[in-house]
Amino acid sequence: MILGASPCFTLDIGSASISAALVAPVGGRLRLLGSEAAPAAVGVEPLLRGLAERVGAADPSLLAGHGAWQEWPRVESRTGPAPRVALAGASEHALEPLVDAFTRDGWRVSATVTGERSRALETALVMRDPELDLLVVGAPEGTAREALAELVAAVAPVAARRPELAVIVSGAAQVLLPGVDPDRILHGHGPADTVAVAGDALSSRRAGREAFVRSIASLAAVLDLRVEGVDVGLEAGTRVMAGPDGILRRLALADGALVPPAALEDQRLLDAIARWSTLAEDAYVIRDRLRNLRVAPWRDAAGDGARLRLAAARAALERLEEAWQDEGRERVGALQRLSDRHGHVPEVAPDLLVASGGAFAVPPGPVVALALVDTLRRPGAMALALDHARVLGPLGMLPDEDERRRVIADLLDDILLPLGSAIVAPGLRSARRGSVTVTAGGATTSLPLAPATVQVVDLPPGLSATAEIDSPDDLYVGARARRVAFDVTGGLGGLLVDTRDIPLRLPDRAERRRAYIDAWQRPLWTNAEP
Amino acid sequence: MTTPASLDRIPPRPAALPQPDVRVAILPGDRPTVAAEDRVEPGQPILERLRHPQVAEHGVQGHAAPGPGATFADGAAVAGSGRHALRFEGAGEILGALPGGRVRAVVSRHHSLVESPVAGTVSAVGACALSIRADGVGIPAMFVIGEPSAGPLVFAVESPAAELHAQGIDVRHAGAILVAGSRTDVESLTRARAMGVRGVIAGGMVGTDMVALRASLERQEASVHASPPFALAVLDGYGKRPVPRDVWEALSQAAGRTVGLAVTPPLVLLPPDAAPADADRSRIRVAAGPLLGRTGRVLDLVGLRRMSAGVYQECARVALDPVAPPGAQEIVDVPLADLERHG
Repeated sequence: MILGASPCFTLDIGSASISAALVAPVGGRLRLLGSEAAPAAVGVEPLLRGLAERVGAADPSLLAGHGAWQEWPRVESRTGPAPRVALAGASEHALEPLVDAFTRDGWRVSATVTGERSRALETALVMRDPELDLLVVGAPEGTAREALAELVAAVAPVAARRPELAVIVSGAAQVLLPGVDPDRILHGHGPADTVAVAGDALSSRRAGREAFVRSIASLAAVLDLRVEGVDVGLEAGTRVMAGPDGILRRLALADGALVPPAALEDQRLLDAIARWSTLAEDAYVIRDRLRNLRVAPWRDAAGDGARLRLAAARAALERLEEAWQDEGRERVGALQRLSDRHGHVPEVAPDLLVASGGAFAVPPGPVVALALVDTLRRPGAMALALDHARVLGPLGMLPDEDERRRVIADLLDDILLPLGSAIVAPGLRSARRGSVTVTAGGATTSLPLAPATVQVVDLPPGLSATAEIDSPDDLYVGARARRVAFDVTGGLGGLLVDTRDIPLRLPDRAERRRAYIDAWQRPLWTNAEP
Repeated sequence: MTTPASLDRIPPRPAALPQPDVRVAILPGDRPTVAAEDRVEPGQPILERLRHPQVAEHGVQGHAAPGPGATFADGAAVAGSGRHALRFEGAGEILGALPGGRVRAVVSRHHSLVESPVAGTVSAVGACALSIRADGVGIPAMFVIGEPSAGPLVFAVESPAAELHAQGIDVRHAGAILVAGSRTDVESLTRARAMGVRGVIAGGMVGTDMVALRASLERQEASVHASPPFALAVLDGYGKRPVPRDVWEALSQAAGRTVGLAVTPPLVLLPPDAAPADADRSRIRVAAGPLLGRTGRVLDLVGLRRMSAGVYQECARVALDPVAPPGAQEIVDVPLADLERHG
């Protein structure tokens, strides 16, 4: 047992920032005593010293008798740049399943290469990329022998000269890589198995993101609810849906990062992020500010910097949602008819959506709630929470599942900052009106239900309520209904009642788009100026 | 009250690296002209690089095929001897053996020379890169684009916050590495390359100009005639960003002497005696926000402060250095994350 008898630090060490939390036994259970975050360049020790001193100054009795802070145990998770893989195959077409599988597992596919003479120079260049971590040679059953031989001739010589490069042969075809030590070569059958083998081979590079997934599964088991977790950091985004019985779906995406590295060169990607910005600055200025957010993400976090960071977080969530939807469409396959008119698979809202990661560390909680609702759009009601101390990642590193569940159960009220609840109910036609009635502790609040808008009902943290919707049209809340009631809980953002479309459609004209986004988020950013 | 320990909470500026390892990529067909442990000087050729490389295949006709990675000179026998020897048209490198008794190689009749950006010792010649242990110090840059290059350091602007414009560059700067202040633009860089300038060091650069420069360098690479190496080093990020004061002073120490620009890792390579001086640990530079580029001294860490847009940040109280003409000293609270500690 790592956590229990003495104070313990949890550390989420990311590429941009480090978040530390101090957990200690108080009154027979574990409590979160404090947390701090700092740019990664500051390092771990100054952060822990400051945290221990601050907690000690606030209540010396909490830490008395536990020795020096340097001796307290630490549970840490690390996340860094997504590992890079080159996929080699007889043809681009044959590589598509591998590209999909690796992309959705958080790898950065740096290149796909073939053995064709016309691409031999490109292949030779890719193979010499010093940042390459893994080479996968795709050889499914039925690959033409000659094509395979050309492919091997293209990749084996450099693989042989780079002993640090991990190599996997994927598929049933017999592949010999001359000059490459056979003990170095791993084997995978089919894309999913190959990704699993690759994950094991570079497990240390992926441990932090795996830990977050494990923690969300443990949280779902502890709460006996469907819990969705989303983590957006500087290098990747992770999304997981878990139920009481385990993980239901998961996705890791290198392009789900706050500002992906490709954005430094790709103006279209920057402009896609800027679509969510409310800043009325020249496009080239916003692009450079976004590039600076990529290269020095801890800087310029207040004022317009906070708004730009939120725009980048929304765009990252949007990319995660797109990949999630793509995968969902493939999953339903023959049941495609279930998708709505926009092609979206009707997945209903989870009971609880938990956001984590450096992307959400700076903006005020209520606007984080709106960003989640704007992008991860699910019909129905859900509670929203923020892993404000970034504790879930480190807790996922605890090797024992029982201990993890016990710790999460103890810390639940401390580590999940309630952002509020959201009801997403599209379907109300223009010029029609309904009503929302919220009853909490005997008090009732009623407001008109307007189409294509998001309304905020003040519902403080700790308060539970019932929200009844009465609509003249069929609303889509997981099922079609005109009258429906939900149990909701309060939070920093209160209750968001959202009748906008799924997915959210933004105007093409920049001024109108800014006006819409500003109107939606202004009530939640009220009194934000000092 | 600040203590040496509490100052650790302020992000440090990346420290100057003594004797850094500089890597130069080895591309397919490149032939190293130096070996491990060799001494190199700035501007000395270290690689012969193929220009406009092509892929060629040839039957080995029963001869023993050379191994992958083997390099050969123009017209040299790659396998066998005499009239029946295997020869490629041009110099190059064997990529590998193909089915049917053929070998594939990357070849070209033309090559250019890649020069060392620094004085030092070759520490390794690997499959992907050639490494040089530099004699001097490396000042970390945010990025360097172009090719490794070296030349005498010339100041083309008078202050860290000044900008370099195209009219400020002329033939006197041929062969030099220019200090360009807080920003330069793609027109100035185009003119600099046309004048034979070997490199430019700037505090910042507009991203669009950077993309345009990269495209221009690629076009230059594809042209018939080889041009001298050129690199752009950006020290602090995108947009207009003054050169950090300590780096400016280190560059001033190196003025007139040969310096280098390394692409991997991105470094400005200075002589050993031009390293930035150890500064008082309480000295800081503001690295973001409206006070960008101002320097000063930390008076105290003041804890959380509510900033614009409702954001709470740990702050330091800073006494800013007066700007010319000297005025009253300004004391401001600045988020720790927007500061950079010198020491």
